[in-house]
Amino acid sequence: MTEPQRPLTRHSQGQFEMASDRRQPADLADILERVLDKGIVIAGDIKVNLLEVELLTIKIRLLVASVDKAKEMGIDWWENDPLLSTRARGQELEQENQELKERLKALESGQGSGQESGSGSGSKS
Amino acid sequence: MSTTGLYAYAITRGLDSAAVAEQSGIGGRPVRLVEREGLAVVVSEVDLEEFGEDGLRRNLEDLAWLEMVALAHDDVARFSAARAPTAPLRLATVFLGEDSVRAQLAEWHEQAELALDRIQGRTEWSVKAYSDPSARPAPAASGGDATSGAAAGEGAGKAYLMQRRAATQRREHTAEEDARIAEALHAELAGLATMSQRLGPQDPRLSGYTGVMILNGTYLLDDAQVELFTRTAIELGERHVHIRLEVGGPWPPYSFSSLDAS
Repeated sequence: MTEPQRPLTRHSQGQFEMASDRRQPADLADILERVLDKGIVIAGDIKVNLLEVELLTIKIRLLVASVDKAKEMGIDWWENDPLLSTRARGQELEQENQELKERLKALESGQGSGQESGSGSGSKS
Repeated sequence: MSTTGLYAYAITRGLDSAAVAEQSGIGGRPVRLVEREGLAVVVSEVDLEEFGEDGLRRNLEDLAWLEMVALAHDDVARFSAARAPTAPLRLATVFLGEDSVRAQLAEWHEQAELALDRIQGRTEWSVKAYSDPSARPAPAASGGDATSGAAAGEGAGKAYLMQRRAATQRREHTAEEDARIAEALHAELAGLATMSQRLGPQDPRLSGYTGVMILNGTYLLDDAQVELFTRTAIELGERHVHIRLEVGGPWPPYSFSSLDAS
């Protein structure tokens, strides 16, 4: 029997690549985004905490290349969630802030030590 | 005392209950059908220690456990979809016994029939497009990086800020262009499909891709649409040097199975 087949992955070069018995990491991401987010919802007897599942999905999906990249592309589905949007923005700002601090520190220390090796404005010795 | 429950994978129609015995589900347990009025739910037994409310709350945060369950869920859905119209259920739909499964089947009978009609003879295909910034023609270098400051102090700070601004503008420019490309790719592909959806980009740490995922589209195709669709997708992927395109499928119709959509 030929099933169950794993999805075929076809690259732009045109060759087929039969995903082997071992799944590729990309398969897992594809499967998770589908089984957690898609498919029919009917009420089982066990009440799953949907918030948790949702958070999990979000964890998987929000850890996108970067939040601002997604926003530039007009992907903003998390904006409706105040918790996520503030956290998302907070991270972005925090990172930029950190970069600026490091930069400032480098500049400040550069004025002390940099002058020795640097241009003619040195007034010491 | 019942310490086992029934994990439900999918709703299906016309699946041979003898054939189902070939397939195993979560934890290698045998899969069977719970039938009612021509519809069936594909189930297997699970331990309620693991799949009860407490167990699920704990386990859903464990990626290894989640992976194991998700793969088994997908295997069973795939097995069923290869043989009969199959509408997969959301992960972790767990019942205490066959009676409650049948009660749900009764409640949703009509909508489930409609959902199965919608996906009969069709499969789901995914198309992802990645933009590789390094494959683009590099922008003209603007006098080295900001740290090689001939300028010290204020000058370096100002140069740094300008550099940052220029970098931001470059990024915005390329992101806008990529967004336009993604939109056009999706529009063209959607025109060749029965239904389509754009999903959010995936986490590169989970997917292991490089570059930027600019399109994560999913498409419901009639069996007769598959060849033209995949061929077109591959041709589209060759239009841009910096765009890599991946076609995946066939999938069970996860993204197009819901009870409410018409």
